[in-house]
Amino acid sequence: MRPEKSSTPDPSVDQPELTSTPLLTHEVGSLDKPGWRVKAYAGKPLTDQDLDEAQSWGRRIGVEDYTDLLTLLRRAPLQAKEQKEEVKRWSSRYGLRLQESAGLDAAYDGEQQRSEMYAWAVAHTEGFAWRGSVRAFDNKYYSKAAVVGPISLKEPYHSDEFAFLKGIARAELKVPITGAYTIADWSFDEHYFQDHDLNVAHAVRKARRHGARRQFILDVARNVIRPNLQALIGLGARWIQLDEPGGSTDPEELDLFAESFNESVQGLDGLFSTHLCFSDYNLFFPGIEAMTACRQFCVGFANYDSRDLGVSSEARPGYAVISKFRDLPYRPSLGLGVLDIHTDFIEPPELVRDRILYAVDVFGDPTRIQVTPDCGLRTRSWDVAYRKLQNMVEGTLLAKKDLGL
Amino acid sequence: MSLPVRAYQHGIFPRSEDVVAATRGLERGRTGRADVDVAFHADRESFIGVQREAGLDYFSDGLLRWQDIFRPLVQLSGGMEARTLVRWFNNNSFFRAPELNGDLALRAPLPTEMAEDGDIPEPKAATLPSPYLFSRAAHEGHDRNALMTEIAREILRPVTEDLVGRGYELIHLEEPWLTYFGMDAGDWDDFEKAVQEVREAAHGATLVLHTYFGDAGPFVDRLRRLPVDAIGIDFVETDLDELGQGWDVGLVAGVLDGRASPVESVEGTAAFARAVAETLQPRALFLTSNCELEFLPRDLAIQKVRRLGEVSARLKKELA
Repeated sequence: MRPEKSSTPDPSVDQPELTSTPLLTHEVGSLDKPGWRVKAYAGKPLTDQDLDEAQSWGRRIGVEDYTDLLTLLRRAPLQAKEQKEEVKRWSSRYGLRLQESAGLDAAYDGEQQRSEMYAWAVAHTEGFAWRGSVRAFDNKYYSKAAVVGPISLKEPYHSDEFAFLKGIARAELKVPITGAYTIADWSFDEHYFQDHDLNVAHAVRKARRHGARRQFILDVARNVIRPNLQALIGLGARWIQLDEPGGSTDPEELDLFAESFNESVQGLDGLFSTHLCFSDYNLFFPGIEAMTACRQFCVGFANYDSRDLGVSSEARPGYAVISKFRDLPYRPSLGLGVLDIHTDFIEPPELVRDRILYAVDVFGDPTRIQVTPDCGLRTRSWDVAYRKLQNMVEGTLLAKKDLGL
Repeated sequence: MSLPVRAYQHGIFPRSEDVVAATRGLERGRTGRADVDVAFHADRESFIGVQREAGLDYFSDGLLRWQDIFRPLVQLSGGMEARTLVRWFNNNSFFRAPELNGDLALRAPLPTEMAEDGDIPEPKAATLPSPYLFSRAAHEGHDRNALMTEIAREILRPVTEDLVGRGYELIHLEEPWLTYFGMDAGDWDDFEKAVQEVREAAHGATLVLHTYFGDAGPFVDRLRRLPVDAIGIDFVETDLDELGQGWDVGLVAGVLDGRASPVESVEGTAAFARAVAETLQPRALFLTSNCELEFLPRDLAIQKVRRLGEVSARLKKELA
């Protein structure tokens, strides 16, 4: 059994900025939740298969004392709240260990203690009401809320999770937190903008809509995100990633996206990055030139790329846009998405290597490239996610070897 | 003024929480195909009932089983597959981009999603992607206009012919790409030819080209010359004052916001629709939502359909 001791560096000691570490590997956010976690937390009975899953993964990824979890799970269906919370913490530990044992340099827990990236934030915030499910794609849906009143934070909603993980992590921790723009963009607005009457002059209505939208987004940044960041920093968080999958949704609002990021982090003592995915990234430019406090853009590209090997631009069509990130005046790093998270295809290490080598060649500086999946891996099974991450790490080692790092 | 007014709901309609749970369960191995079918069937019956109660003039199946606006057509056609997930304009929803890998050729007259339509009351309306949208949403690497022509000829034309043969009286082509991303001046002639392919196939039916997610004002002169019976305008995004006067084509007025949860007032919406009718004087006026309603939870979408019926009833009375 490995010691359950944190190796997180002492924040009082000067450390090199993580986003300047050449080809540092890290996850983006979510992992799927194991069946035992979902059922036990819901107070449902478990099957032998669920217990086998907890046992086999406990062994496979080196979860210390996992037999204690099995003992707890054998009591299912669980009724006591503390037992259910304990199951969530176990799931959190499993998620962290999965990433660590895959070899990632920076990790978190696959958001195992949260319901979902948007739902978790909204559930801990005053001023929202749920409206129902909306489809994202295929048979994937998300619960959508409406802002119905003034926005305020009920309580910092990542602090307990971070404090727990800080106590057990072996790798560096990078905290993913849903950003202000995405929370606003994924919500209906029934509070800030009320001029839906088409009889109002079009230009007037459009200007009011933009003004209301800005107020909504900035209220989330100031009243929800910023206090969360302050609480995390107070607990010792060094690297916080503001997840903004909605960031590029509307090119006309990139100024609001950039403003909300700056408003969230301005003056805070931490390393802040952002995650973007599944968009035409060309649309971000020049809008994100204003995000000078963003030290890394973690971006999904593999989804758009060929699976052929090669380091030429022809072989790497999914990465054509990265030179624009290179040319940002404040020289942020690029978290290079090299794993397509929407397919069970396991990227061979050689493909990962070539994607990295291409990016390093474009940037001319490996300290500005880190290596990541395109997005959270929660739509993949743990087996697929694990093998993808292992190959990502192996491919990174191949790239390092080629680069003499 | 006397003007024929009709109302219908186009596009993909949202799924109920039962279908959400069933399809989610199917993917996780917790439910079977039969449970999913039962849930979809209930949704379909419910949607038809909502349209009927709202007094709409055309009926749709709500495209409830469609995974996106291209998928059944891509799966029906050889030479194409759906793979890469791409954002659907400025929404938190995504489609799988059609990707060419051979010659286009339909394997059957209609996708199974459209073929079982015996329960849809008449008159029936069908929604299809516009050839311009289809060609631009497809993965790059081809001559876009040649692809547009091929899609119109090999996919949209035969499917439309079959739909009209089955009694569909309105064919609604969704065209958000034009108003969101624009169109090069040199592409208009090819676009018109592609639409003409569908026009010929839609003989005897009303053919609509519906622009949305953007301002149609800059394109209106050219749009009005297309070989269609009506042009759809998203009035959440388009200024009525930019659309000229004296239209010699029908108008589909998107007057309910399919991306906002507040349900518009009957009075205000009907007043605006009346102003539209009086200003543009189209040959015919169709009322609908500015875009498909799948961005709303189902309960809200149902409220919008009911409101569409109320607005339509009021306007019909006023313009009778």
